[in-house]
Parts: sequence; C-alpha cells; structure tokens
Amino acid sequence: MLFYAKTEAMRMLRNRRYIIFVVVFPVVLYLINANIYGKQTDGAGVRYSVVLMVSMAAYGALASSMMSSAVPWATERQSGWLRQLQITPLPNWMIIATKLGTAMLLVLPSLLLVAVVGVVQQGVSMPVGQWVPLMLAMWLGTIPFIALGLAIGSLLTADAAQPASMICMFVLAIAGGLWFPPEVFGETMRTVANVMPSYHYASLGWSIVAGHGVELTDVLVVAGWAVVLGGAAAYLYRRATVRA
Amino acid sequence: MNAIVFDQVSKRYGDVLAVDDLSLAIEPGKTVALLGPNGAGKSTSINMLLGLLRPSSGTVTIHGRSPEHAVRAGELGAMLQNGALIPELSVKELIDLVRRLYPDPLPLEEILKLADLSELVKRRANKLSGGQTQRVRFALAIAGAPKILLLDEPTAAMDVESRLRFWASMHDYAAGGRTVLFATHYLEEADEHSDRVIVIARGRLAADGTAAEIKAGVGGQVVRFTLGDQPAAGLDRLPGVTAVEVAAGTATLHTSDPDATVAALYRGTELDIRGIQLAGADLEDAFLALTRES
Repeated sequence: MLFYAKTEAMRMLRNRRYIIFVVVFPVVLYLINANIYGKQTDGAGVRYSVVLMVSMAAYGALASSMMSSAVPWATERQSGWLRQLQITPLPNWMIIATKLGTAMLLVLPSLLLVAVVGVVQQGVSMPVGQWVPLMLAMWLGTIPFIALGLAIGSLLTADAAQPASMICMFVLAIAGGLWFPPEVFGETMRTVANVMPSYHYASLGWSIVAGHGVELTDVLVVAGWAVVLGGAAAYLYRRATVRA
Repeated sequence: MNAIVFDQVSKRYGDVLAVDDLSLAIEPGKTVALLGPNGAGKSTSINMLLGLLRPSSGTVTIHGRSPEHAVRAGELGAMLQNGALIPELSVKELIDLVRRLYPDPLPLEEILKLADLSELVKRRANKLSGGQTQRVRFALAIAGAPKILLLDEPTAAMDVESRLRFWASMHDYAAGGRTVLFATHYLEEADEHSDRVIVIARGRLAADGTAAEIKAGVGGQVVRFTLGDQPAAGLDRLPGVTAVEVAAGTATLHTSDPDATVAALYRGTELDIRGIQLAGADLEDAFLALTRES
C-alpha cells in the first residue's frame, strides 16, 4: 500500500503538464505579482508579498489537488487499470484512500516551493509559530478539492473530466480570490467568494499571516465542504466500482 | 476440490441473457480453453469469476469459496480485455507495484523471465509496442503467483511471433501445477494449448471435452483427394464415410474412421487417387456445427 502510494506520486511527478501547471505556474505568478505589488500593504497592514505568497500557495495547492485526482482517476477507471487493481488483494477502499493520500502528498511541493521563493526572493519572514500552522492549514485544507477531483474522476470520462476539472479549478481560483485580492472585487463577487471553499481555504492562510490566528468560520466552511465533497466522492466511487 | 465451479449460473443484462444456466467444474492444474464466438458469454463468465460481476442467479466458487474471497487471498490473476497500463511508469515499476499487493508473489526476476521482459525493464509503458504491452499485462497477471490464471482473449492484439512467445510463456507458468482458463475465439489456440475445451455459444454450454473428443463427436475427420473427372459414385459407401462433397475436381469425404476409409479408397476402388490429404484437425467444422445447434 505504501509502495502503491509511492509509485503513484512518482508517476505524477513525471507528468510534464502537471509540473508546469502545478509547480512552475504558481511560482512564476507569485514572482511577477510580488515584484510589482510586494511592497504595498493590504487593509490589515500585511505586505502583499506575504498575502500573495499565501494566495499563490493556495492556488498551487488547489491546482495540484485537482490535477492529481480528476483526470488520472477518470483515465484509470476507463482504461481498465482500476480493474487491474480491483482483481489484486488490495481492498477497494484502499485504492481511493491511496489516491487521496497521494494527492495530499503531491500538494506539498507547490506549497513549499512558493513559500521558499517567498522567503528567498521576497524576504518574507515570520515566526515559526506562524509558519507551522500556516503550512498545516494550507495542507489539510486541500482535502475538499481533492475530494472534488476524485468525484469528477468517478463521474465523468477522461475526456470530460479534463475540461470539467479545469473549469472548477479556475472558478475556485478566481472566485475564491486567489488570483486577485478579494478586496478589489465588487459586492456581488465578494458574496460569491464567501461561499467558495477556496476563499475560506486561502482565508485560513491570510488570517494566520496577519497574526489573527484561525477564523472559526473558515475552518467550518472548509470542513463542511470537505464532508460534502468527500461524501460525494465516496458515493460516486462506490457507484463507479459497484459489482453489477 | 475443484479450482473453479459454475453452478447453474445465469447473468442477465436487461433483456439480454449473456450467460444462460451454465454449470461446469474445472479441476486444479488443468489448462482449459473457453471457446466461443463473440458475444457467447466468455468475458461475462470471466468477470464473474473475478467478482467484477455478480451472477443474476446461481453461484460461482473458486476453491470452494466466493470469488471475492479468492481475490482477497491473491488466488486469482487475470489478463482482461483492454487493460491499459500507467503511461508514466516503467515495466519494472508496474510489475513491482502489482506484485507487492499479493501476499506471496513471484520474485521479480522470475516474472520478467516468464513474460520475456528482461530486456525491457526500464522502458516506460507509453513507449511499448502492442505485443510488448500484452507481455507486460501477462506479467501483471502472474505477478502475484496466482493459483488460477484467467486470460480473456490474450492474443487478440498480437502478431504471429508474439503469439508463439505468449503461449510458450503461458505453458511455462501452467507447468507449476497451476490452473489456467483462457477465453478465445481462435479454434487453433483452443486445440493446441489446452487440456480441455469448453465450448459456449449464446451463454450456454455447447460442448465440453478434449479437442479430439469434440472433433470426434461431430462426425470426425476429413479425407480429401483430387478426383479429377472420375466418377464419384460409390464413395459414400466406403467404410466410415458419413458424407461426400465434390467441388472443382476435389472430393471431400467426412469420416469417422479415416484409416478404414483411406484403406478402402486404395484397395476397394478403381480410382486413381492423387493428392490425398487427411484434414483431421478441423475443429472449425466441429465448432460451427456446435454453435449452430445450440
């Protein structure tokens, strides 16, 4: 099972498209934006270099969550690889659990890379008491997105899962305020952002770097979405693998 | 105990009865061909053996227990139709991944040798040819050292040479006292590579026995020779002959006793017999006859 997870992770890291979208893109976007706006501060007096680090780490983690789950999963289901695994002694629930675990593992490179660039290139500095909760929140907060990806992968064919996961990812990223600070949005968009799991996910990070600790609302919304999307993923997985 | 038992198994998809009251038992250590035309219910039967499908009625057992149990215990290995590999992984990584899921797998080296993959260990799955992919899929099927190996039309995408290599690998694996059940619609494969042939058509058991028994059961063998413009009269009265066909100067005698027929042709007729052929191995006739009847 551990070997399965390791192999799965290795396989995604060899996927060029994955590396570009998930690892390179957020870093480049961060470098560009931080070098333009980095020295300004937001309403709470936090430098944008820090805010953007959180936003881009959140975007990278979100992209990774979706990309390492939806399309690979749909493809394996369709191509017969899932059946190949189903006829081994590996229990069904472990297949999907490994997928979840591996996807969480694969979130780490984009999170860490953006953080490292933030520290090295933008001189971001925070006490350890902020770094640790920040990374932990940004990491565990990806569960709803991975669940969404797996739900898409169980529901759709690989061809349909590709655009569906991309659309979900961009909607979550933009409407959640990961690309543009939510403050620049109008009233309507702020309302939309407020129900997005991605907004509350990034907000976990923004609150931590602002020194406010963690907002209960953010935790509840992210956890709520994790339960809803996790339930959907589990249901759709059962439906996709059920013995007719 | 039997390796595989189907007890009055039926499988219905909506209005279609894919498998219809199938009962059969396969002893351990045998290599058995499941022969039938497309749509006969071969894949459905194999998927039921693997617990991927549930019978609508009846029971399938493996070593006396449910297919799910056999899968969990690592007793089954299978090469299904259209199973893709993970493109980013190498041959060795794929095999290692699957073998480690089994409690008592074959050593990696042995798998590579059996599947004839030693040269390709580092090759990524997306760089393999069709025949090589099939060999990897065979390797995945035997990786866990399953006691029962199920192959669903394993040679469908292979060229002649790949086929020969494949069957050699299959026999090597079966030689360890393992049970092999392979589905095919190639008659020669069933004839050459199995101890026993189970013929199914429209989901029903049409015949069951050795290839020779099945051929004998449907009017036996064929004696063919160049008749030219000589008269065909009296050929149907030769010993063993069940039917006579004459076409384009060639006489074809269906016979249940080719030795007696040939002897009588030479000794009991005035004909000038040239170009004589004994076409015994025509399982195709038997197969067509069987699948038409049922």
